[in-house]
Amino acid sequence: MTALSVSATVSQGRRQLVNVRERSLLTAKARLLWVAGGFGLLAAGALMRIAYVGVVEPAPASRSLADALTPARGDIVDRRGVPLARAFPAYALWYNPGAMGEGSPLVHSPRQVAEALVRIFPDMDVDQLTARLASGKPGYLRRRVLPEDANRIHDLGEPGLEFPRENERYYPQGSMAAHVLGFVGADGKGRVGMEQVFDEALTDPARRSTPQALSIDTRVQGALEDELGRGMAETNAKGAAGIILDVDTGEVLALASLPSFNPNLIDDAGTPNIFNRVTNQVYELGSTFKPLTVAAAIDAGTVSNMARRYPAGRPISIGGFQIRDSHGMGASLNVPEALIHSSNIVTAQVADELGGERLRQVMQQLGMNQRPYIELPARGFPLWPRGEAKGGLWSRITTMTVSYGHGIAVTPLHLASAYATMVNGGIWRPATLLKVEPGHEPRGRRVFKASTSARMRQLLRLIVADGTGRKADAVGFRVGGKTGSAEKPGAGGYRRTSLVATFAAAFPMDRPRFVVIAMLDEPQGTAATSYQRTAAWNAAPIVGRVVPRIGPLVGVMPDDTRDVDITDLAPLVPGKAEE
Amino acid sequence: MNLTRDRVRSIGWAVILTVCGALVLALTFRVNAVKSQVMLTERQIVAVKQEKLFLETEFLTRANQQQLKNLNDVEFGYQAPAADQYIEGERQLASLGKPRGPGAPSPIRVAGAGETDDTPALIAMVSPLSGKAIAAEVPAGGVEKPAQASALGERLSRLRGPEASAQ
Repeated sequence: MTALSVSATVSQGRRQLVNVRERSLLTAKARLLWVAGGFGLLAAGALMRIAYVGVVEPAPASRSLADALTPARGDIVDRRGVPLARAFPAYALWYNPGAMGEGSPLVHSPRQVAEALVRIFPDMDVDQLTARLASGKPGYLRRRVLPEDANRIHDLGEPGLEFPRENERYYPQGSMAAHVLGFVGADGKGRVGMEQVFDEALTDPARRSTPQALSIDTRVQGALEDELGRGMAETNAKGAAGIILDVDTGEVLALASLPSFNPNLIDDAGTPNIFNRVTNQVYELGSTFKPLTVAAAIDAGTVSNMARRYPAGRPISIGGFQIRDSHGMGASLNVPEALIHSSNIVTAQVADELGGERLRQVMQQLGMNQRPYIELPARGFPLWPRGEAKGGLWSRITTMTVSYGHGIAVTPLHLASAYATMVNGGIWRPATLLKVEPGHEPRGRRVFKASTSARMRQLLRLIVADGTGRKADAVGFRVGGKTGSAEKPGAGGYRRTSLVATFAAAFPMDRPRFVVIAMLDEPQGTAATSYQRTAAWNAAPIVGRVVPRIGPLVGVMPDDTRDVDITDLAPLVPGKAEE
Repeated sequence: MNLTRDRVRSIGWAVILTVCGALVLALTFRVNAVKSQVMLTERQIVAVKQEKLFLETEFLTRANQQQLKNLNDVEFGYQAPAADQYIEGERQLASLGKPRGPGAPSPIRVAGAGETDDTPALIAMVSPLSGKAIAAEVPAGGVEKPAQASALGERLSRLRGPEASAQ
């Protein structure tokens, strides 16, 4: 081998090396270009995306604040704006077997889960629940769950148990004013009370953001329900009803029918109580009708002298029927005495003199022959006496029995409206559950003269001051009213032991503002009522306790230096009445 | 590279166009960013309002009439105030000031600072800001208040006349 050949070999090898180097460099450059191009593309893509998002894509659809906050169903509030019913996102308990994907829908056995759930909700049944969970069908296990219970369900660690928040109707005051409000059924429609009346306005998207205001005052309603409930418990009564009515506007400030129901939980136990005793049940309200008869007679002029005495010693026999008094009240009585002692005999004579036609007209004008005027859908039709006499007129005996509240059955609401008419100057106005703005009260119709109304205020005050209504005489509130204890009709005549005890009152009598009616259905004589079952012992004390509680709230301050002037009648009533 | 005037001008236009485009783009981004912020805030407002509704409802439920009644029955036993706890109008107020009946105990007299004729019955109210008597201050409107501390004391002390003479 020569040096030349060696150098040639070396130079050839060097050339090859240079080639390799160049090729490698080229490859590297090409790769770099590729990578740079890739990054460039990526950057361009990102920039385009940013530009697209920023320019073309619309901003996330924003719902207006008002839309988001409009409730699914409008609120119902009381006259001061306290919410009585509102849409509320409450938790429900929903069983979703698909939550775990394939395989068993539950982590533990259905039995274990059911037992754990029953520990949280003791009213649920283990076997039923086990069957539900094992069946693998989705569905509600419970419609409403408290937040703390939702947390406890969460702690069970079962993905199959979900608690979605659903828009539910919620009544913060529980069973209070349940009959006025009603409830919302599972179909989302209002039932029974104002939920039904307002249904359209509450679900209308344009109107549901403004709450519907009722004439009810929560505090007054609470006081009335509380005292009625106490009276009912003390007398073991079957039920109780009460109403407080503004005499000048017809607004209902409180309306209670006990036993009540809980609109948050409509179950079998509550369903029978949905029936409204104030507007739907008709009763023979007994002696509370006597002032109405006397007012009609004063208005017609057949009773013009309060001192005139009527024989009261013997029962009146008419048509084979005897009208008698509960106890002897003396040989003769004048009208104030007859009201104070609650004499059927004298009232029947007053009505007889007045005549059936005139009494019937007054009762008609007071709306006693129609369903009561109120917005609620449940309104009872009165049992209005048919006219047996010629031309549809009332016979003498019908006139006489109606005069003391028998043979005619009306709702307590009828009575409240009639008493409001009697004391407010004689104008009948329909009762309403809607708030009436000042100056917008309905005109109403005149039934009694203003002078008659003034006389009736004196007489009603006299009954409470000296007569059967003494237990309703809240000091300083100038209460006036009349008791009524009517026997309930049963098979074969009236049942002596089952009574409907009513006290119809108004206050303050020097310028009446409110009518208060308290009624007990079949009260029993107990120690709390001195073993008496008449209204003087059970219904009148309820009014006597309600009035001081509500008076200052509704703007009637007690004042024992004021009263309606009864000095012209007081001498006509020598002694005080027995109760 | 020779730059003619036309060329410079067109480059200038291109630059201006680019700058304007960039500005428009930036502004659009900014607008959308603010829009998103507004929406986020709206969402927060809605969430807070709903939370408020939730708490309000819970409060109403816990403080409903029946609960309050039960609480009152167990804890407090408050009752509606009686008629003699109210003073409604001048008539009731006047009935409190009836002359003392024969043989009634003399009313309790409370010790007080000795009054001389030259001290005013009322100490003038002094403003904590200016240190001057309120009555001496001139309001913003420039009209001086009619009430003077000394005159007020005088006027009130006049009321004591008939009272003093009755005792």
